[in-house]
Amino acid sequence: MEIQGEFADLLDAVRGIRWPARTVVRGGIPGAHTSRMWGSSAELTEYRPYRQGDELRRIDWKLFARSDRAYIRLSNDRSVLPTMIALDASASMAFPIATNGKWRMAAQLGVGLAAVARNGGDPVGLVIAGGSEPQFLQPRMRRSAIHEIIRTISGTTPGGKSPLAPAISIAAQSVGRLVIVSDFLGDANEILTVASRLVAARHEVHAIHVLAHEEIHPVSDAATVTDPEASEVRRALTGETRDAYLAAFGSWREGVAHDFSDAGVIYSTVITGDETPDHAIRRLTAPRGVSAIA
Amino acid sequence: MSFLAPGFLYAALVFAAGILALHFIVVRQPRSSILPTARFVPDTRTITVARSARPTDLLLLLLRVITVLAAGAALAKPVLQPSRAATARVILVDASRSALDSISMRDSARSVYRDGDAVVAFDSAVRIIGGSTGDSLAPIARRTARGNFSAALIAALRAGSILRDRADSLELVIVSPFAREEFDAATDSIRRLWPGKARLIGVALRASDTATSARQSINAAASDPIAISARLSGAGAGANGTVDWRASTRPRWALPRTVIDTVGGVVAGTARVVAPFERRWSYPADSISSGEVVARWVDGEPAAIEKADGASCARSVAVTVSPVGDLPIRKDFVRFVAALTQPCAGYAMIPASSDAMARLAGSGGLAPRQAFAPRSDTHSSLAPWLLALALLTSVAELFVRRFTRNAAGDAENRSATREARAA
Repeated sequence: MEIQGEFADLLDAVRGIRWPARTVVRGGIPGAHTSRMWGSSAELTEYRPYRQGDELRRIDWKLFARSDRAYIRLSNDRSVLPTMIALDASASMAFPIATNGKWRMAAQLGVGLAAVARNGGDPVGLVIAGGSEPQFLQPRMRRSAIHEIIRTISGTTPGGKSPLAPAISIAAQSVGRLVIVSDFLGDANEILTVASRLVAARHEVHAIHVLAHEEIHPVSDAATVTDPEASEVRRALTGETRDAYLAAFGSWREGVAHDFSDAGVIYSTVITGDETPDHAIRRLTAPRGVSAIA
Repeated sequence: MSFLAPGFLYAALVFAAGILALHFIVVRQPRSSILPTARFVPDTRTITVARSARPTDLLLLLLRVITVLAAGAALAKPVLQPSRAATARVILVDASRSALDSISMRDSARSVYRDGDAVVAFDSAVRIIGGSTGDSLAPIARRTARGNFSAALIAALRAGSILRDRADSLELVIVSPFAREEFDAATDSIRRLWPGKARLIGVALRASDTATSARQSINAAASDPIAISARLSGAGAGANGTVDWRASTRPRWALPRTVIDTVGGVVAGTARVVAPFERRWSYPADSISSGEVVARWVDGEPAAIEKADGASCARSVAVTVSPVGDLPIRKDFVRFVAALTQPCAGYAMIPASSDAMARLAGSGGLAPRQAFAPRSDTHSSLAPWLLALALLTSVAELFVRRFTRNAAGDAENRSATREARAA
């Protein structure tokens, strides 16, 4: 699959995009995201009266000299947010067969979001569930992390029907932000369970639902359609069954969106052909309440 | 080639056209493709109907069309026919006792015979002579039965139906001595059914035998009541008589009846007698077929028959007369006896009148072929073969259809598997 060349333009397009954490992050290595820990950074947040046990070196002596009162200078700590990109590489992502549109979109979203996170100084990792065994890249801060991610994605061909939830469960143990890029046609319920648990553990979880334009607007010609992950599912898609299909599919998507949103997951939908990857990345990384600018 | 029932062939052509049209309509499962969200499509079995630019399943189409056309052609009864000639003849050859000899009769018939003509030999019965050459006339020989133009003309009409497909016009030729005895009341009516003139070719009439043209005598005994009646009727009675009429002994050619019954009357020509007669004798079928019935009981059973006897004829009467009563002297019985002692009519050869001959010859031209009804009993030799062909192709169609269906199913499965594997 020749998608490696496409990532160069994407990396240029996403340069400069910031992806702030939606909530305060756990403290750790100094970074760009606001930490829930009080630290000693230069950015003043508030003063607090000195209490017994506070370190004397944290007293603001200039203020003490002016007011003869001992105050402790407080400032929020800033920390990095380890980000893990989880890509679904099951057979259903290899659609349409001629263009592999869903997988190409998922791959570009993964690379783009990883690049945005890396540009913000966050370590980024990758997990790909597909084929026989999932592929893991632990979060790294070094500059070559993006190239390793591109190389891993480029060497992956979607196929099989390996579940995504176990891989996510393992990969998300040491990260603060998890981005799931999938069509959720496999083990959506299990993914939702894992995501709910991570949200409860104060992780930031993004669920990006990749849909093909051909799935939402199937061709009007009658066809016998087969599920690539379950060959026994063979149905006749005709003018009579098309409306029922659209209704059932729309209802399912609404259900998925509702379930993930209720679980505290940041749910987004990306439809192939409806927007470019960089535009989708701007929309996904925009702070809550701020619309993306193309 | 022509068809006896062409409607079936037309119907088969229409049906075959329908089959051809149906082969332009593609009815099959929709094309197969991959859709990850196929689970949301309702599980219904659907086929699609589309119009194709070219007929599909050419082998099946060929077999089906052959089946329908062969069955239709078989039911239409095709008949192979030779080319039609301008004129054909129906030659009626008189083989009755009125002809002088067989040779002149056959020669006269041969003089008009052409290949393809129909020859009908007749006396009291008719038979259409087979074959297509003049040699087929050889079996015709003079017989002892009286001729009958009515039966011959009916046979000519039937022969005309046979020849209507071989010629545009038909000519009726009658080779006969034209004796008066061969005409009957129906002859003129039947002759008018032939639409055209007839060519009459006369042959020599057998000369009348003067020895048998006199009245017959009865060989009853002098004491027999029949002898009294014979005398009253003016007929002689003696041992040399040619009418065998005995009071108690078995008449000539007759057999005793197993059950003796009584009948109420007997008829001979125009003479009728109504009286109780005891019926003791009956004539077997072979006796009747070789002679002529000259008197019948009221129930139709022969009461007296006449047969040729050398140059003369002999009669046998199975009417028993009781010596008791006045029957022998009753006028009606005397007339009955007189009728039975008349000269043998079949041996008094009298030429037909000129009027009867003119009516038989008729007027107008040759009869057109359309005037004759097509034969309804024509046998089609091709029909069984066509039916066999239809049966064979229908069986072949079954096998080809099954093979095609299996092959299509395998191909579809392979295609789906390939797509799934590619996905």
